[in-house]
Formats: sequence, structure tokens, C-alpha cells
Amino acid sequence: MNRKYELVYVVSPVASDDQVADLHTQVEAIVQRIGGQIEKTDNWGRRKLAYEIGRHKEGTYVLEVINGGGDLMKEIDRRLKVIDLVIRHLIVRVDEEQGVVDRTRVRRADTSRRRRVARGLPPDRQPGEGQRGEAEDDRDDRFEMGEDLR
Amino acid sequence: MNGRKSFGGGGRGKAAAGQQGKDGQRRPMFRRRKVCKFCSDKIDDINYKDVRMLMPFVPERAKVLPRRISGTCAMHQRKLRTAIMRARQLALIPYTTE
Repeated sequence: MNRKYELVYVVSPVASDDQVADLHTQVEAIVQRIGGQIEKTDNWGRRKLAYEIGRHKEGTYVLEVINGGGDLMKEIDRRLKVIDLVIRHLIVRVDEEQGVVDRTRVRRADTSRRRRVARGLPPDRQPGEGQRGEAEDDRDDRFEMGEDLR
Repeated sequence: MNGRKSFGGGGRGKAAAGQQGKDGQRRPMFRRRKVCKFCSDKIDDINYKDVRMLMPFVPERAKVLPRRISGTCAMHQRKLRTAIMRARQLALIPYTTE
């Protein structure tokens, strides 16, 4: 059984960098013991919390992408609940949704290619084609808001 | 005082009848058609980690912006909601503001 999960945990701001690293090692140990692997680890660093959690206003966010089964995640969940240094954590299964996203993307590309060929155009979009700034500008700032929450 | 005519084709009939005065209140409102941001921008993956993307849908009071205002399609609104709820759990987005 191989599933992909994302685990994000928020470490209390009183923890030192060593303690954060130690938490990562603990997670790693559980993953290895039960038979899974960590695909990616990403430390987002310290950032402001949107609301106070037990008098804390900041927290260190760590993201881990883990391949493994449900029992492994259950064990990690149990352990993280016990550790006081972790003030919040979230486990999300991502493989199924990722599959859907990939399939949608492929289907869209296929449809567009088929239509373009039917219209007698080359299958892929040429540079400079389409509406101005459509492809180049991948981030739209119409709804942009302040950066205060980051 | 013929500024009314600038409201475009839809108001032509009304502009002629606009002499009556109070009629101005019932002027047909011009509404721009809303489109789903995620459909038009081809964003397939609404992710709880991308706070920058979610913030426009969480206005001042930190509630989820309703579909009738944002124009998001049903499928994407559903995904957006899950993403916002997850982000809230991690204190990336507030549940509410004072």
C-alpha cells in the first residue's frame, strides 16, 4: 500500500532550531520503522500565525511529504498529538487529488491540441500567440492583498 | 444633462423616458458577467498552502467569500472551501477577526 501524504506541523516559537531538527528526526524514525519514506522536507521557517494558539503568535512551519500507508500516518498523528512542542499539525492525503489534477491537465492539453489541428494550426501554441500577457503573466494581481499575513 | 446616455445600449429606452425624473433609480444596472477565476486561469490545484491565492476569497471578516459575489463555479468553490478550512487549521488564515 503506497499512498502519498503531506504532513505540516507548526512548532512552538520557544523551540530552538535544534529542537525543530530533532522533531524531524523523530518523524523520520517513525517513518523508517513502519516502512515508508520521506519524499521531501521543507522548512518554511518562522511565520506569524493568523490567530493565537495558546498565547503563541508565531510558529515554525515544517512540511513533509511522506510515502506510506495509513497505519504509519496514524502513528505519526498519535505521536504529534503527544508532543507539546508541536502546537498544530495537519495530515492530508494527496496522491488521489494529484492524479485528478494531472489527468485534467493532460485532457485539457489533448483537447486544445485536437482543436488546433482541426482548425489547421500547429498543435502547440506558438510564442506570441493568444491574448497579450496570457501565458507570460501566470500570477494575476487583480485580487492581490497585503502581505501582512505572510 | 444627458449623461445618462453614456450608460450604453441597454438604457436607450429608459433614457428617452428619463424625463420623468424619479425614473433614474430604476435605470437598468450594468453588471459585468462574473467568471470563475480558477476556470479562466486554469488553476486545477487549489492548495491550502498557497495563502496568496486563497486570501482574495477570505474578505475582512475572514469568512469564505460566497459564490454569488466571487462568481466561482460550484466545483471550484467546493475545493476552495476545503483549502480554506485546512489553511485555517494551520493558522495560515484566520477563522475570524475581532
